[in-house]
Amino acid sequence: MPTRTVIAVALLALCGAAQAQQPAVPSHLKNNLSMCIGCHGIAGYKTAYPEVYHVPKLGGQSPTYLVNALKAYRSGERMHPSMRGIAASLSDKDMEELAAYYGGTGK
Amino acid sequence: MKRLLVVAAVLLLAGNVQAGGNAASGKTKAAQVCAACHGPEGNKPVAPENPILAGQHQDYLVKALKDYKAGRRNNAIMKGFAATLSHQDMEDLAAWFSSQQSNLHFQR
Repeated sequence: MPTRTVIAVALLALCGAAQAQQPAVPSHLKNNLSMCIGCHGIAGYKTAYPEVYHVPKLGGQSPTYLVNALKAYRSGERMHPSMRGIAASLSDKDMEELAAYYGGTGK
Repeated sequence: MKRLLVVAAVLLLAGNVQAGGNAASGKTKAAQVCAACHGPEGNKPVAPENPILAGQHQDYLVKALKDYKAGRRNNAIMKGFAATLSHQDMEDLAAWFSSQQSNLHFQR
């Protein structure tokens, strides 16, 4: 086997390994998930406003808690300008799907 | 000299931000206040409404407690508990829970 082929195969195998750690994203979730990824999808990401702190890790969190958090942002019980805007655009079903995506899969 | 002052100020600020907490003190306080609902290590909530705290970012946990106390997060149960905590308590609790193990992880 030519060296180049071996390298290509090895790279492909690596890609597979890297992707295996992230659950597959159902196609109907992609639009909504794209709103989360901008902050929660960047390891170690910190907010810039209104305070500076790490955005919370969502993977493995309780789905019930996540749905309640989104609803609280939507109703204004939980104050955060960006999260309120995002949650306002989500239906209850959207929230449940996102919560299941983040919380439903173990590491 | 000016530059030195700036450096000193930045260092001071950094010290404040990262003042961090004492995980050992946090463990003791957690056992008294948080454990009944979140588990002693914050990784075994007794109800699905309660979040996993173990392994969460330390500064986010402090922010959450501050928000409960200030009413920026409106939760009757947590408001009561947070009201009894000093800023140092919050830092200590966050240091304890953020250093515990759980399934909580970064996910895209």
